[in-house]
Amino acid sequence: MDRDAVREKSLARYKQERDWFVLLREGTKALPGEEGRLQEKLLTILLESKETVVDCVENEKPFIAGYFCNAPELFHAMDLPWYMLMETPFLAATAPYLASDIEGSENMGIGTDLCTAIRLPIYYIENGLMPVPSAVLGLLYPCDGAPMLHQVLEHNKAWQGVPLYGCDPPYTSDERAVEYFADELRRMADFLQKHTGKTLDMKKLVEVCEESNRSYTLWQEYNELRRSVPCPHGWEIGGAQAFAISQCFVAGDPRCTDWFRQLYKCGELKVREGKGASATEGWKEKIRLFWFDIMPYGWIFELMPWLEEEWGAVIVMDMFSNFPYTLIDTSSEKTIFHDLAKRNLLDAPMIRQARGTAENFAGDIRRIVTDYKIDCVIWPGHMGHKDGAATTGIMRETCRELSVPFLHIGLDLFDRSYTSPDEVRGKVSEYFRGMGLG
Amino acid sequence: MFDEYIEKVSHCIEEMRGAGAAIAVFDRPGSPDQLREGLPVEVGPNANPGIILRGDTFLELGNPQAGSCAALLWTGRPSLVRDGRITLLGPDIQESAEASLPFAQIVMVGGEGLEQEDHEKLQQAQHVSDQIEGYMVRSASQSLWSRVSKDAAAKGFDFETLGTALIGLVKGGVPKVSAVEVLFVTTSKEDVKRLDEVVSGTKEIGREILKETWKARGYDLDCDFDCDSCTDQEVCDEIRDVIVARRKKTEREQDAETS
Repeated sequence: MDRDAVREKSLARYKQERDWFVLLREGTKALPGEEGRLQEKLLTILLESKETVVDCVENEKPFIAGYFCNAPELFHAMDLPWYMLMETPFLAATAPYLASDIEGSENMGIGTDLCTAIRLPIYYIENGLMPVPSAVLGLLYPCDGAPMLHQVLEHNKAWQGVPLYGCDPPYTSDERAVEYFADELRRMADFLQKHTGKTLDMKKLVEVCEESNRSYTLWQEYNELRRSVPCPHGWEIGGAQAFAISQCFVAGDPRCTDWFRQLYKCGELKVREGKGASATEGWKEKIRLFWFDIMPYGWIFELMPWLEEEWGAVIVMDMFSNFPYTLIDTSSEKTIFHDLAKRNLLDAPMIRQARGTAENFAGDIRRIVTDYKIDCVIWPGHMGHKDGAATTGIMRETCRELSVPFLHIGLDLFDRSYTSPDEVRGKVSEYFRGMGLG
Repeated sequence: MFDEYIEKVSHCIEEMRGAGAAIAVFDRPGSPDQLREGLPVEVGPNANPGIILRGDTFLELGNPQAGSCAALLWTGRPSLVRDGRITLLGPDIQESAEASLPFAQIVMVGGEGLEQEDHEKLQQAQHVSDQIEGYMVRSASQSLWSRVSKDAAAKGFDFETLGTALIGLVKGGVPKVSAVEVLFVTTSKEDVKRLDEVVSGTKEIGREILKETWKARGYDLDCDFDCDSCTDQEVCDEIRDVIVARRKKTEREQDAETS
């Protein structure tokens, strides 16, 4: 397929995805109260981001494809629209075409042991379903699977010639590593300026980072609310959405801060009233869970509501809701790049755990279990997270020390056919019963 | 391992004191049970069951913008630590309503039998979580940021209380500990930063201890597989040589074409 054909086909798919979110947003309008408005605000931010990309494709304006851990504050400061290469599995996995896309990727002959979040974009690129950007930011960490995606796009006819840059991540996590990565981000910014015609205005970057700090401050404040018993929100509100709002659309935008303000307001209200995650009459929080991975987006509605209703089990914390961040010091260009490097090399979810040494697998469990009064830890064992599979023993040992039960399931967070939701529910039930939690 | 840092911290405090910083010293030796007696707030598991909301906060300590530093330094030589000594440099809690104070908390711990395997447990002990009524350590992985509630302040909660509670919790949490000394600094962001620089080297030591203790249990935190240890190094070296030779050949051909 040449670039013109891909342009039409990918635009049609991108609009289809946009329309899926329009439908979801319409649904949120029927939701009552402040929490309904919260969901509506989130979907509005997401949709505007999608609309911008559509506009760029239609009118041949520069835009890029990248990842959440590419310091998205820089894109915003450059007024550079972007979409995430793994956008569908991360943000739109509830879309009705996901299962047939996964099947399509299998039919292409891509190894089914490759992470589905990587397999899907490969399928989209090879089938002309993803808009061809002005430039691509690659991801050389945390896993070996991600660079495969870049190899595919480098050889695809429509994507050939699209400039590609990948920040080189050091293995260590010391000051020298952060400074090295800060230089990598500087080179990335130069690359983007060269290939998109956009310029990085330092004054704007300061403003964006300060706004981003405001968002992150509220996020941290909100996370403290989740320590409350009962936890004010479950899987549906807060947690993973906070990650998406702060890192996946327009990082450092006042609308994002406004969303966090609304989130805090909703959470605080429930804490003061002593209300928990579910509004069902007579419902009680019985089990506080730490889900140590991404949510099972491909079949989330088949597990999470069941956990809450059947077992009173609430996802109090998960890998993407975790807040290990520090704010960006905006006093100079040097401090900004330094702190962006720290955030994107050491703090961003998955990167934090799977790049470099494995100490955060143990350290995060230790802190979160204690701070959030966690009753049990679930390591879903996503088939793509082979890095984590190698540290299951460390996680289990840490939980033993803390006297907290640990469950390793083994599943695909996006593909329900790998371990069926029924099987997962069965394993979880057996585990809760066995541990005397239910 | 941390002995030299205990000495460095003491030296730094003497310098700050010499520069005129207000200082208060309390001595509260004793067993965990003795230390809990007479405190104005409850201390122990779940003593602070709820969270402290912004509106219920009397003051904040260690907000990153104000300055924050925390370290726990342990030694197998208890004589280096003055058991029960609580030293405060700067304003106390009761005189700082509605404030956000810079905050350094250095806990120095001594015990003859202390070993590397106790390191993780000791580190965790300094983050008291929900074990002090009216005092909440925020869930931050890289700094110590805490809140004191209005109710606790009304009961008389101050740094002597916090220090005493901490000493008791550390002693109770790790029985090998025989001496605990606590230092609090709330004078200025600069002083906190200075102390942070003094103890900055302990982070790397801590990381190495973690690696070693996990390794002793049969788990590798670190991937020590690199070119030097790889059995296929010879093959890779050969491939590199081929690449270099090909590049040189191409360059020679291009040079020949242009000339």
